[in-house]
Amino acid sequence: MKTSFVFSGSGGQGIMSAGITLAHTAIDMGKHATFLPEYGPEQRGGSAKCTVVVDDDPIVSPLPRVCDNLILLNEQAYKKFVWDVKEGGIMLLNANRITLPVEIDGDPVERDDVRIISAPVDDIALELGSPKVANIVLLGILIGATGIVSRDTLAASLEDKFKDKKPGVLDMNMKAIDKGIEIGAQYRV
Amino acid sequence: MSEKRFMKGNEAIAEAAVRGGCRFFAGYPITPQNEIPEYLSWRLPEVGGAFVQGESEIASVNMVYGAAAMGTRAMTSSSGPGISLKAEGISYLAAAGLPALIVNISRGGPGLGSIQPAQSDYLQATKALGHGGFHAMVFAPNSAQEAVDIIYDAWEYAERDRNPVMVLMDGCLGNIMEEVELPPMKELNDEDVPYWSLSRRNGRDFQGNITPIYTEAILEGVNIMAGEMYKDWQENDVKVEEFMVDDAEYVIVAYGIASRVSKEAVLTLRSEGFKVGLIRPITLFPFPKKSIRNLDYNRVKGIIDVEMTIPAQMREDIELQVMERCPVYEYGRSGGVLLDDDGVLEAVRDFMTGGTDNA
Repeated sequence: MKTSFVFSGSGGQGIMSAGITLAHTAIDMGKHATFLPEYGPEQRGGSAKCTVVVDDDPIVSPLPRVCDNLILLNEQAYKKFVWDVKEGGIMLLNANRITLPVEIDGDPVERDDVRIISAPVDDIALELGSPKVANIVLLGILIGATGIVSRDTLAASLEDKFKDKKPGVLDMNMKAIDKGIEIGAQYRV
Repeated sequence: MSEKRFMKGNEAIAEAAVRGGCRFFAGYPITPQNEIPEYLSWRLPEVGGAFVQGESEIASVNMVYGAAAMGTRAMTSSSGPGISLKAEGISYLAAAGLPALIVNISRGGPGLGSIQPAQSDYLQATKALGHGGFHAMVFAPNSAQEAVDIIYDAWEYAERDRNPVMVLMDGCLGNIMEEVELPPMKELNDEDVPYWSLSRRNGRDFQGNITPIYTEAILEGVNIMAGEMYKDWQENDVKVEEFMVDDAEYVIVAYGIASRVSKEAVLTLRSEGFKVGLIRPITLFPFPKKSIRNLDYNRVKGIIDVEMTIPAQMREDIELQVMERCPVYEYGRSGGVLLDDDGVLEAVRDFMTGGTDNA
């Protein structure tokens, strides 16, 4: 089955890293995946977006117009992409940066046809030890809610990624996954 | 031994070039192809090759000329505006009969255009890569894997023909990360260096790798030989994918990223019972004329040219083969706006129900 993800936020929030990690983990599980980054003009602080497609079969088009799972990290991203998730899909919001209802041109815009998961991932990441792991908390939530990849494969891929870092870094990332999964599982259909 | 990796298109291109024997790169930075030189800047020295970031596109392409004249497998890469600057050098490469790989990861145009992906350089690549009426083979892979396979063998074509080869992709395919299976490193020995290379002069006094201005009636002969070579390409080197065309009433023609979005539309429409197919040129030059010319126009009701550029640029090549036997329709996005599945699907549906030529 083909499942698509769009991540958006500002540069530096770990959007690209989250997308690559998800795609890489899917491939490690024997699935197929594409990751397409779209940068704003600036690397840091500009708007960042990436699209990940995961499928059991080789991926034909990597360019869906609307996705199954939309992950938004700030209000700017919400305003831009709120309509880009399918009816019945998941909209995962960073509650620390997005307060519903968000007004667009003076009118509140909310989706009542999607499953909204709103979690304070910045706060959670800080509690775990670093704001940098907010994106991993998000990935955990996605996995908990969708089961798109297994927790263990993601953990193995992070172990590989952080093998040269200080020991605490990997540990913090593992905690971030598990905290995320715990939240996401509540939304599993 | 082959190996699988999850790589960005641009990086896959660079690695495939190295494995295909590339030992010299010169170029100048431009988005969205920067990962190619970035990768080669550390990778080429690892295999005894040389990387140069030139002071300009013009200097870079001429360094490629020099390296190619020595028999070294050489390449440069750029995006639209930079390719325009390299046009003179590419023409000189063709004149001198020197092989080289030119990669264009295209973006929105004209002028400085945008840094976002677009398929805006079809006409430049296929009709006039430079002055003087020459052609290069132009390959348009639609995935990182196909790019790897084509680039791995690019110098086989270039050295066979003693002519530059172009690989044309857009910024989307350059930046997308996909799984690729990398081929083994080609082991090239001294005897693989072409006989005409300056490095194999073997005591000969003269080696004509820098073409003079022709003062005698030689140039016409050179042009005639080139013309014969282009005919041979048309006979022997066309690469094309035909997908569900046999019974198709509507045929999409699309290359590169547009072909992937179009194939998704074909699959969706087929599942709804519509007889739609796809012709995907893999070589843009030589263009797969026969695939379009030999369609059964008693059955085919229309051709849809899908490109990520406005207006469509491949349309004229398509129309020359359709010869007014059915309507031709075009759909595109441009200026850095990407094609998407639903957009192509809607355009094809509109055409199937409306059915008129939108020239």
